[in-house]
Amino acid sequence: MITLPPSERDLNAYVDGQLNDADRSTLETYLAAHPELSRQVQAWQRDAQSLRAALSGELHRAPNPELDPAFIRQRMRRNRTRRFATAAVLLIAVSVGGLSGWHAREITFASANPPMADAVQAYRMFAVNANMASDWSSDKANNVQVWLDKNFAQANRLPDLESAGFKPVSGRLTTTEQGAAAMVVYKDSEGRTLSFFIRPPGEANHLLPRGSRRDGELQADYWSGSGYNYAVVGPADDPAAQAARLALKQPI
Amino acid sequence: MNEVDDQLRELLPRMRRFAVSLTRDHSSADDLVQSSLEKALSAWNGKRPEGDLRAWLFSILYRQFLDAHRRSRRYNRMLELFTGGKEDHFEPSVERTIVAQTTLQAFDRLNTEQRALLLWVSVEGLSYNEVAAILDVPVGTVMSRLSRARQALRQLSEGEITTPALRILK
Repeated sequence: MITLPPSERDLNAYVDGQLNDADRSTLETYLAAHPELSRQVQAWQRDAQSLRAALSGELHRAPNPELDPAFIRQRMRRNRTRRFATAAVLLIAVSVGGLSGWHAREITFASANPPMADAVQAYRMFAVNANMASDWSSDKANNVQVWLDKNFAQANRLPDLESAGFKPVSGRLTTTEQGAAAMVVYKDSEGRTLSFFIRPPGEANHLLPRGSRRDGELQADYWSGSGYNYAVVGPADDPAAQAARLALKQPI
Repeated sequence: MNEVDDQLRELLPRMRRFAVSLTRDHSSADDLVQSSLEKALSAWNGKRPEGDLRAWLFSILYRQFLDAHRRSRRYNRMLELFTGGKEDHFEPSVERTIVAQTTLQAFDRLNTEQRALLLWVSVEGLSYNEVAAILDVPVGTVMSRLSRARQALRQLSEGEITTPALRILK
C-alpha cells in the first residue's frame, strides 16, 4: 500500500508496471493533480519506450550458428576430448622419457661397471702371482670351506672343480666398497689357474643373473646366491678351464 | 536435451541483445554469449534454479561479463604501468552510431550496472525480485539503484539534446 505523496521508489515501480491495481489507480489520481510530477514520470516512461524501441532491432540480428546450443555442446565435447588427448600424450611422453632415462642409466652403469670386474682384476693381480701372500693355503690344517665360512655367512658352497682336475690351493681376503670379498685360487696338475671370487653385491653390482663375459684373454662366469655375487675367472680359451666351467654348470 | 536446446535457442536473441548492451560491441558480445552458454550448459544438471530461465541466463552472462571486465581492467592497469598510457574510454562503434538514437546514446554512457538494470526492468520486464536475485542484493537496493539509473539516463538524454550528435560523429 503506497502513501501519498508517493516516494521515488513508488514512482519507479509505477513506471515499471510493478504496482498492484489499487496502488496504480491511487497514484494515477495523484499524478493527474500534480502536472509537474506527472511530466517527470512521463519522461521516464518515454525513455523506457524509446529504449525498448532502440534495442528491439538487436533481437532481429542474423543468427550466429556458432551460438547454437547444439554447436556449443559439440565444441565443449571436442575440447574435453582434446584436453584428455593432450593429457594422455603428456603422460605418455613423460613415461617414455622417464623409462628411457632409467634404461639409459642402467646401460650406462652396466657399461661403466661390467659384472664382477673386480673378480677379473683380482685374478690378474693375485692368481697368477705365485709369491702372493695368502690368508689360506692348502697346507693349512683347516679346509678352505671352513676358512671361507668364517668370513661369509651362509654363502654358497665353493664349486667343486676336481672332476676337471682343479683343486683349491690358496685363498686371500680382499675388500670392496661394500665389504669383505675373497678369492680362492684353484690350480690343476699342469699349473693352470682358475679363481673363485665372492663379494657382497654392490650398489650397481646388484644380484646377477647367471652369465659369463670375456675380458681380454680371461673369461668370467658369474652368478648370485645367498646374498653374494660369485665369479669363476680363468683363461678363456684353455680346454682344461672349459672343462672346469662345464663342472660349474652342475648344481653346486 | 533437445528440449533444453530449444529453450536456449528461443532466448538466444535476448542473450545477444543483453550482451551487446554490456560490451557495446557485436563480436565481443557473441563471445560473451558463447562462454555464458558453455557455463549454462555445464551447470544445467546441477544448478539450474527454479524460476525464470531468462533471469538465470542473464545472471550467468552478467557475471561472466564482470569477470572478463575485471580481468581486462587489471590488464589495462598493467599496460598503463608499462606504457604510461591511459585506459581507453568508450567510443561507440560505427554500426551502433548509425542506428543510435538519443536515448541509446545516453544508455551507452551509463555504467555497467545501470545498463543492466534498465535492460532487465524497462526492456525485458523482469520483476524487482528477479533482479534482486541476480545481483544478490535486497529489493530495496534494486529500487534505489534503478531510480538513480533512470535519472542518469534522463539527464544524459537531455544533455544529448542540448549538444547535438556532433561529438559522436567526429
